[in-house]
Amino acid sequence: MNFDFSDDEKRLFEKVRAIAAAAQAEEAMAGQSADAVSQTLRDLLKQLAEIGYLQLGFGNNAQADAVPLMKAMETLAGQARSLFLAVEMSTRVLGRAMAHWATDEQKERGLQGLLAGEAIGALALSENTMNVENDPLQTQGVRKGGRVLVSGRKNYVVNAPIADHLGVVGMLDGRPAIFMVDRRVSGLTVSDRIRTMGYDGLHLAALDLQDCDIPEANVILPPESAAVLDSLRLWENEILLAAALGMMAASLAEARDFAKSHRTGGKPVIAYQEVGFKLAEMLTLHQTAQLFAYRAVWTTATQPKEGASLIWCAKVFGTEAAERVAGEALRILAGQGYRSGSAAESAYRAAKWTQISGISTEIARVRIGDHALGYR
Amino acid sequence: MDFTFSREQVMFKKEVIRFAKKEIVPRVQEHDLKGEFDFASFRKMGDFGILGLHFPEELGGGGADVVTTVLAGEALGEAGVDGGLTLAYGAHSFLCADTIFRHGTDAQRKHYIPKLASGEWIGCMGLSEPDAGSDVASMSTTATRQGDSYVLNGTKMWITNGPIADVAVVYAKTDPDQQHAGISAFIIDKGTPGFSAGPPLIKMGVRTSKTSELVLANCVIPADNLLGNEGEGFLMAMQTVEWDRSALLAPFVGSTTYLVKKCADYAKGRVQFGKPIGHYQAIKRKLADMRIFGEAARALVYRIAWCKDQGRPLNHLEAAVAKLFIGDWSLPVTNDAVTLHGGYGYTHEFDVERIFRDTRLAPIGGGTSEVQKMIISRLM
Repeated sequence: MNFDFSDDEKRLFEKVRAIAAAAQAEEAMAGQSADAVSQTLRDLLKQLAEIGYLQLGFGNNAQADAVPLMKAMETLAGQARSLFLAVEMSTRVLGRAMAHWATDEQKERGLQGLLAGEAIGALALSENTMNVENDPLQTQGVRKGGRVLVSGRKNYVVNAPIADHLGVVGMLDGRPAIFMVDRRVSGLTVSDRIRTMGYDGLHLAALDLQDCDIPEANVILPPESAAVLDSLRLWENEILLAAALGMMAASLAEARDFAKSHRTGGKPVIAYQEVGFKLAEMLTLHQTAQLFAYRAVWTTATQPKEGASLIWCAKVFGTEAAERVAGEALRILAGQGYRSGSAAESAYRAAKWTQISGISTEIARVRIGDHALGYR
Repeated sequence: MDFTFSREQVMFKKEVIRFAKKEIVPRVQEHDLKGEFDFASFRKMGDFGILGLHFPEELGGGGADVVTTVLAGEALGEAGVDGGLTLAYGAHSFLCADTIFRHGTDAQRKHYIPKLASGEWIGCMGLSEPDAGSDVASMSTTATRQGDSYVLNGTKMWITNGPIADVAVVYAKTDPDQQHAGISAFIIDKGTPGFSAGPPLIKMGVRTSKTSELVLANCVIPADNLLGNEGEGFLMAMQTVEWDRSALLAPFVGSTTYLVKKCADYAKGRVQFGKPIGHYQAIKRKLADMRIFGEAARALVYRIAWCKDQGRPLNHLEAAVAKLFIGDWSLPVTNDAVTLHGGYGYTHEFDVERIFRDTRLAPIGGGTSEVQKMIISRLM
């Protein structure tokens, strides 16, 4: 047992913090075009690749990297909210899918660029019918003379308007597959950017695929034994959990600094018990969620069977705590927090997405309950 | 970071669960209803090695580290041991015996620790007073040096094991003009003239632990019974607080695991509207929240234990965070467990009712949640 990070790991976190702090602010990205966001993201990816951040969790060090990766992700998420999700959906979801299931040739074409920070990836998973029981995917590929025709509809695809590599999860020959679709292929329609409550700088879109013709070589076909959907959801959940931790850290820091510097009645507001106690509750939630997340990803890396349900638990706790911490921060910050651009205000809106996306907190609770009952 | 337990730790935890299920749990309900301390089980815990787990073997202990000790506490809760017995164990082993072990002379250690580790003697700690709870520095109990003796006067309150203790570690002011720096710690043996325990208090929960006041009326003890030096008592008390917020919290964590299993078993067997209630999402939600709490709490407790093992003393912030979280968040969970059992949960027949009452102490004992918030906000 060891609750400390190594000096090397701490140095990496500092580098991530420095890069993230210099990245474009969330509110500045809100109204930007896809091209502008794409350029910002590419610049960030390059820097993150140089310090080794993008490569964390890949290769032989996956197990040892699990907890430092979570901390590094939290650090990035705390400073650069939308950019963090864009980076991770590219690297840690599509990238991991490729690392696990792509052929060497496919990896050479796609994964290397993602890990070098030279390309942006997106993975289209969500569909209207996906629910508690993970209904079979409606998106289908049909083989036709050495090629595959892909049809289906995908929702809420992060990076869809700006991705160089677009993976679409669907069924082929009765088993899950990932179709690498060229964005210029005939039959593919990428919707306008979906405007969302939070994550102001995120480029999110829906996909409509009508007989999109791709070569068979562009199909990533995981082995039949692979739990494809569970794995993809797991990686997504880990990212959303890190996002929640980052939000909590940012909201807490903003509220704490304000409470120490803002004076009323002749003393800093932190000196008032009501404010001090709120901060104590916020810090308690943050530290609890942090340790919970670390233990969950560590367990997932070392004992995958036990880890799966632990990640659900940690995600429910962390993402709900993020909303609560941001909400309490808003109360402390008063008008200062309610203005756009406040970390707490932005986190308050974004926290909702972390609860909805990946496994929703409702579905997670059903599954955790099933797990306790031995039904699953 | 690494959350791995050693093979020995894992095995030992399993052994404690097995031992507790066989030797203690069958009598828990009976003792709780009668409000009786289970002397036999306590002694068995000594024989098994739990009471002196972290003391050196030459003093009759098990030579274990703090993490292993915390795992033993968790195991007791997980097996279904009641909060009264685990509280008595905590007050005995950590608040009393550990203080003697850490701050006593060799002679004091050799005299007290083996008998406390075996359970032959029962220990308690007297810190709180009727008008000095969390505000320790305002205590009014005094210890006045007279030649080779100290004369103690005052009243201690809420003393776990008070009515049954053979040995007490008592805190008193040797310099009443000072605040924290005026507090010293003493060992007082049962039967010392002027030292007595009041009648046991009747409590809502943790009913098998006996709680009372301790009265010191011109109680004369040898000067050799001073622990450490004069004025060091507050620091000693703070060191016990860490135990309060790690090993003493561990049974609550284990108890949640027990609760999830109990509730799941009930939900699978209880049929309403043609199907087991476990099939309803509202029930699954309650079970999920129970498990989420237990899992969230676990690492907080392990962290404090690990810090102690690394020789990092007085982790106030980490300890207060653990205490605040477990204290406040355990209540809705046990409340849900009672509700899940419907009318049965309201009866003594099902132990969720007892766990609900026992857990009510979590945000009170060892420093209320409000005090934890004060500590955390100051340290921020």
